[in-house]
Amino acid sequence: MYFPYFIAYMTAGFIISILVFLWALKTGQFKDQQRARFLPLYGDVESEPARTSRLNRIGAYVLFGIVCSGLLASAVFVLFVLIKSSAMNG
Amino acid sequence: MEIDTGMEQEINKAAIAFSLTSALWFALATSMGMVAAGYLIAPDFMANIGWLQFGRIRPIHVNLVLFGFVTPGLLAAAFYYVPKLGRTQLFSQKLGVYNAILWNITIAIGVVTLSAGYTQGREYAELIWPVDMLIVINFALVIVNLVMTVRSRKEPILYVSIWYALAAVVLTATTYCLGNVIWKPSSGALVGIQDAILLWFYGHNIFGLLLTPLSLGVAYYVIPKVTRNPLYSHSLSLVGFWGLLVVYTHIGTHHLLQVPVPTWLKVISIVDSVAMVIPVMVFLINIWYTVKGKVGEIHADVAGKFVFAGTIFYFFVNIQGSMMALPQVQRVTHFNNWVVGHAHLGVLAFAGMTALGGMYYVLPKISGKPLYSHFLADLQYWLVLIGSGGFTVVLTIVGLIQGNAWLNGETVYRVLPAIQIYYVLRVAIGFLILSGAYIGLYNIVRTIFFNPGAKA
Repeated sequence: MYFPYFIAYMTAGFIISILVFLWALKTGQFKDQQRARFLPLYGDVESEPARTSRLNRIGAYVLFGIVCSGLLASAVFVLFVLIKSSAMNG
Repeated sequence: MEIDTGMEQEINKAAIAFSLTSALWFALATSMGMVAAGYLIAPDFMANIGWLQFGRIRPIHVNLVLFGFVTPGLLAAAFYYVPKLGRTQLFSQKLGVYNAILWNITIAIGVVTLSAGYTQGREYAELIWPVDMLIVINFALVIVNLVMTVRSRKEPILYVSIWYALAAVVLTATTYCLGNVIWKPSSGALVGIQDAILLWFYGHNIFGLLLTPLSLGVAYYVIPKVTRNPLYSHSLSLVGFWGLLVVYTHIGTHHLLQVPVPTWLKVISIVDSVAMVIPVMVFLINIWYTVKGKVGEIHADVAGKFVFAGTIFYFFVNIQGSMMALPQVQRVTHFNNWVVGHAHLGVLAFAGMTALGGMYYVLPKISGKPLYSHFLADLQYWLVLIGSGGFTVVLTIVGLIQGNAWLNGETVYRVLPAIQIYYVLRVAIGFLILSGAYIGLYNIVRTIFFNPGAKA
């Protein structure tokens, strides 16, 4: 018999989630969201912004290249699978 | 706003202890990974050394990466940002340090028992019952420290990073108990198909409810700090948080589409795997809009670029994950190296890089000393970035060769010569990550203990 554990876990999880959500509502966690955006910045500002260089920009381009090649590879792969599966079904 | 020098007055010993833990086990975890990769080129590599057999080294590598490297690295950042965002102090530095010591003892026992052949034989849940219990105790101590810190906060609103950090440790503590079937110490398993369902519910949630929320918590903190921009939308971040909790918990069964699991459960896992696009894109849109116009600044800051690269890989691992849950796609991608590539993309490239970024961000603040070497940190970034990207490409190619061959009815052994060269490439690329891990360990140890540039 395994399902009593599953049911207990799901019930506990559901009840706790609802309680936390209600607590959040009651304590105003969903209010004043504009101020919440700034919370990481309160209290300190770093001494100097880091200086950008040509190498930093190259780093950003490398990441952009990874994004493009990854997207391209994903698109080619989905196309490959669809063609393959339609050929097998047909 | 007050101006400071970027250094905190209080030395955060708990965060330091967890940073050292992460750096140490990262080096050992990648070493184990290299040994395992060696076996795939030469199966009799170290064949006479029992405790270094592939079947023992592989779970050691996986458990070390999950619980030795990534989780402590992300927790190190959490021990810094949770009190900072609550405008309070960490509840107990002493508890945090003891927690880190116990954490290391637990991991060490895990390594020794696995290498001695004591295993429960379930993927991601190999550790035996006493080690399971120690892990649960460790998470319980983290929960106590973070929850008590949050209770004593002066800031009434919980920033989204705190939501993520607390959810990660609370959910993992409970999911770990369930997934490791701790009420059955001798086997740590149920019987039959329900054990597979339970195992993958747990296995996927180690990524989805531990590494992902902790990583997102770090990104939501570090990115605004580095760019000096406020978060694009805090409301959107909360939508993403609750969305992640609702959707991610149901997707584990997509590992079991080829087995006799109830169809309704498979359908739920597929639908929710695709629906993961919603919380993921909510996070990415939010973070990338926060970065907007500051990409150069992000890449000028070593912590920022680690975390930003992590978000790029998060995009890929989730797009890939949603795609891989589709049965037609899975006919090609399942049970081969595609999945291994996917796992490295998620755990190393996304969560691992985010953990490294989080640690590099907090290290000067928690130790009160500047980073020992920005050059070494930069070098580690490129080694891990190229290593992660290269790993993903190589393993994906191997996966496609294997998946396509098997789909066409080819036998396993006839495919092996075709993939040999990729296994050699995998080891070569692995050396980059291995070097990065040891460079990181050196840099972090020098920053904390032997730092000539230390502030008086």
